[in-house]
Amino acid sequence: MSALGESFFRPRDLGEACARVADLVTRGVPHHVIAGGTDLVVESHLRPPSTVAPPATTLVDVSRVPELVEFAVRGDTIRLGGGVTFLTVRRAPALAPLRVLVEAGKDVGAIQIQARGTLAGNVVTASPAGDGVAALMALEAVVGLRSVRGERAVPLRDYYQGYKKTVRAADELVAWLDVRVPAADAFQSWRKVGTRLAQAISKVALAAVVERDGETIRRARFGMASVAPTTSPLAHVERFLEGRAARGLDLAGLDAAVDADVSPIDDVRSTAEYRRHVARALVREVARGLAPK
Amino acid sequence: MIIGRSVPRIDGHAKVTGKAVYVDDLPPRPGELWGVTVRSPVAHGTLRGIELDPAFDWSDVTVVTAEDLVAMGVENLVALIEEDQPILATGVVRHVYEPVALVACADRDKAERARAAVKLLIDPLPAVLSLDEGTVVQKKYRIDRADVDAALAASEVVIEGTYRVHHQEQLYIEPQGVVASWHEGETPVVHVAGSLQCPYYVHKALKKAFHLVDDAAARVEQTVTGGGFGGKEEYPSMIGLHAALLARKSGRPVRLIYGRKEDIEATTKRHPAVCKVTLGCKRDGTFEAIKVDVVMDGGAYVTLTPVVLSRGTLHACGAYRFAHHRVESRAVATNTPPNGAFRGFGAPQTIWAVERHVDAVARALGRSPIDLRRQNLLQKGDLTSTGQVLDVSVGGQECLDAATKAADFDRRARDLEAWNAAEAAAGRRKRRGLGISTFMHGAGFTGSGEHRLKGKVQVDLERGGRLRVRSASTDIGQGTETIFQQIAAEAADLAFEDVSFENPDTSKVPDSGPTVASRTVMVVGSIVQKAAAAVASHVRAKAAPGESFATAGDRLLAAGDAETKCLVQYVPPQSRAFDDATYQGDAYPCYSWACDVAEVEVDLDTFETRVLRLFTAHDVGKAINPVLCAGQVEGGTLQAIGWAIHEAIVWRKDGSIANARMTNYIVPTSVDAPEFHTTLVEVPYPNGPGGAKGVGELPMDGGAPAVANAIEHALSADLRWGAGVLLPDLPLLPENVFERARRAEVVS
Amino acid sequence: MKLQVNGVMHEVEASPTARLLDVLRGPLGLTGTKEGCGEGECGSCTILLDGLPVNACLVLAGQAEGAEILTVEGLAAGQLAPLQQCFVDDGGAQCGICTPGMLIAAEALLRRNKAPDDAEIREAIAGNICRCTGYQRIVDAIKHAAVVRAGGAS
Repeated sequence: MSALGESFFRPRDLGEACARVADLVTRGVPHHVIAGGTDLVVESHLRPPSTVAPPATTLVDVSRVPELVEFAVRGDTIRLGGGVTFLTVRRAPALAPLRVLVEAGKDVGAIQIQARGTLAGNVVTASPAGDGVAALMALEAVVGLRSVRGERAVPLRDYYQGYKKTVRAADELVAWLDVRVPAADAFQSWRKVGTRLAQAISKVALAAVVERDGETIRRARFGMASVAPTTSPLAHVERFLEGRAARGLDLAGLDAAVDADVSPIDDVRSTAEYRRHVARALVREVARGLAPK
Repeated sequence: MIIGRSVPRIDGHAKVTGKAVYVDDLPPRPGELWGVTVRSPVAHGTLRGIELDPAFDWSDVTVVTAEDLVAMGVENLVALIEEDQPILATGVVRHVYEPVALVACADRDKAERARAAVKLLIDPLPAVLSLDEGTVVQKKYRIDRADVDAALAASEVVIEGTYRVHHQEQLYIEPQGVVASWHEGETPVVHVAGSLQCPYYVHKALKKAFHLVDDAAARVEQTVTGGGFGGKEEYPSMIGLHAALLARKSGRPVRLIYGRKEDIEATTKRHPAVCKVTLGCKRDGTFEAIKVDVVMDGGAYVTLTPVVLSRGTLHACGAYRFAHHRVESRAVATNTPPNGAFRGFGAPQTIWAVERHVDAVARALGRSPIDLRRQNLLQKGDLTSTGQVLDVSVGGQECLDAATKAADFDRRARDLEAWNAAEAAAGRRKRRGLGISTFMHGAGFTGSGEHRLKGKVQVDLERGGRLRVRSASTDIGQGTETIFQQIAAEAADLAFEDVSFENPDTSKVPDSGPTVASRTVMVVGSIVQKAAAAVASHVRAKAAPGESFATAGDRLLAAGDAETKCLVQYVPPQSRAFDDATYQGDAYPCYSWACDVAEVEVDLDTFETRVLRLFTAHDVGKAINPVLCAGQVEGGTLQAIGWAIHEAIVWRKDGSIANARMTNYIVPTSVDAPEFHTTLVEVPYPNGPGGAKGVGELPMDGGAPAVANAIEHALSADLRWGAGVLLPDLPLLPENVFERARRAEVVS
Repeated sequence: MKLQVNGVMHEVEASPTARLLDVLRGPLGLTGTKEGCGEGECGSCTILLDGLPVNACLVLAGQAEGAEILTVEGLAAGQLAPLQQCFVDDGGAQCGICTPGMLIAAEALLRRNKAPDDAEIREAIAGNICRCTGYQRIVDAIKHAAVVRAGGAS
């Protein structure tokens, strides 16, 4: 079957990839950029039946573009190529300080999906249940968007504009993600409540990176999946926590902050009520972790 | 001894090298078409007509509707128990996904597009989508033994409870499919090969629909089958008929293989049920009387529902001793796809209820769930609800002892309590618990079933002193081929390698009855044993002094000796006849017994449950092949655990299924599955080969209640929920446990 | 298109946008790799792509050009590999439809980890759904195979 289309290109480098995409956009040719294929091929498989053949879609395969699969440590920033896979995140010793992302990576699908699924793919797909995106948000990721017009950097928190809506222009590729390496003593946690323990889509997932000065919370960054139209930061929770003592937190106030940040729905995998309850519980779990008994 | 040895499975080599040929692996035949099914999008409605999109190019597409069946002189009927299910709907559609038309084309993509180009004109009618609304009764039964009303009135303690269970999808990993061809000629021959459990069911359905008189006019052949669990018992008749119709009309071979979505949507599932249980006992816990009211959801057509309901009815009083029994059961029709065979076949539904109810009684009496079970478990000499005297192979007590011993139950329970206390003290939110279930499962067909079936097996001598077993019992993963070879070799006193297994193909094997009801080893295996022994002893009797078995055999074959083949028909052992009217008598030749002990971890916030360890003891009479047998036990138990805590069909308001994908129909993965500690208990059944009795379905019966019992134990220090059990209904999805817990009193 | 499968370079007539699974099963005739769901969920189509386990239903044939592909047909060299033999002996295969993908996932594990514990084995095969065995015997078979591969007793 060739439901995905007719033309297939494998650019040698990022420049060629951008040029190819720019050309397709200019000519109005339906196309997709494909890396791991873990979303794109599934979507094509699930296409509803139609009496006419799907329009031929040109594919630009970036899974072997060298610049995209690299990563580099630059002081307290790590630049992750968009094509870095979850398996690479799990296995590369240099990325071990990004504990929250490493742990999230272990919870993405299972090894077959981790071996193919990429960080950029997770960002571009814009699923509300983006585990990797939640972790990247907690790491204050900045998205590097590249096109023939140049390159721009957009904080990941500003990248999503609504359900499956992003600031990415049609000719832009997610070339890299810059993440902030948390302080060595930072609290990092990942918790996924999924439909099962592997091969699962999140019902709720929470990534947290919290830095403290002694007892006081200096900096708190959270990313949560599956409780809003997009994977989202928890801005109210972060504001609530920053500057407070980790011990003796007002838990009712914390719950209220969570409620202000989430807008869960009922779907095939869970209920709004359960998700709201779990969202609160996971944030409380982080609070407990900051001040263990 | 070959029986009792874990001989490596004979199909293992082909399966681990990728050489085993499943239906989708059959090479395309010249001219082959790809078949698809056009289905109703409406749960109930008047089918006014079928329109073919005039803009679509139909020149190379074969279309079959109910009208073509009339034109071809085909009877529009899937032959099973009741003659109510059409091959293609006509006049009325009764469930979403009901087949209405068939389409085939050489180009697979085009066939899929053609499916969308068939427009069904349906005027919707009101639909019944749950058993609570069902009014049309498909079947009912009543068991009434001694005087339940008087006994309950006189009981010191009477406890009532209502328990519900949900659909379950078999989710064999190989979707259903067949390849069919139609050969016109003086006598037409239809040939169907595919993934199926019961070749003679398909054979019967083909003969009936196409009015074929000669058995040889229909040939049905099993391909290597990637799991069935009941799901490939009756449904392949439908697919086989569909493919055969397309083949007949097009004159071409047709391949009709479902995708995962279609398989989940259209094929049968486990019957949902609701059971109301009333149990009377003494204050010391001695059970006296039980009354169970069972309602099952049969779906839109009767299919196998009467038999499923029957088994549910016969297992509704559990593995316990009562002097007074009443079970009233009925199945109602709904506008959902017909529910059908699934491992356990009605028993897991009613056993869920009775096991949960025993836990409710234990709670009310302040007794441990183990002790109360031990006190009331059926023993040799006791009577069942049908008045059957349990005089052979009664291993319930042994199983209870073995499983609790393997679990080191008391010590483990103490350790858990300490662990929970430490978690609570540290402010952590995980809790662990232990749960138990004890259960039995009738082996083989119910009542007079085997008398009616007259299952047959043939064993042939072949050159070189080898035997070939010909039976219609299929290997769908359980290991039939291997086990039959073991039984035959043992009976004939030959080496395992000197026996072979004929592929189930109606042109080559007699009708042994279907591969269902935990009857393959016990019933069909017993005639494999007889036939193999008969052929071998004939050869030995005719052998000249000093002549080897192989030489004597070859000589007899050359001489055309008729007794080198032996066809044996099953004769059920003498028993008290089962009365289909009163439901009294010997319901099953014997029962297999088991006890599960589950250790779970529950999160007090998210209510996710993980089954950490599962200790199980199964009395199988005799394990012909212990590795394969334990594989049945563990696989079946995991299906039960999945049914309990992961799996659920999500129905939309229009009667369609919202989660017909493996991404959203959740079965356990290796990290969700517990560590299994399996004990095979052997209390022999004298009429089974080597003492063996049925094992296929039993493991499906006890996993869910053991897990529920364990979850409640885990939560018991933090929650109080008053009378009864906290978790009366399946599934125990985190969302549902959360709902229940929210209504309970929080202790800590 | 050229594909390197089980150590042999094949020229195949296929669209680069076809799923690798379809190219393996169709033109290359390697039907040992199975399709159970078509959406990367069941793992029956697991193959090694440059040594990493992937779902062949989610990889396009063009993406596999220039890579080394291993399918179940490439596991046995003459006689069964220890991993395959242990699956047969220890009850790791029942219906067998998940077995090829399961073996490949296990092979990927054992190449990296010579002596995995139960948790590591379970994690390595978590993307391969088996509906028959309950997994215990698969875990045992893989552990057994690790011992045999290390030169231990079979």
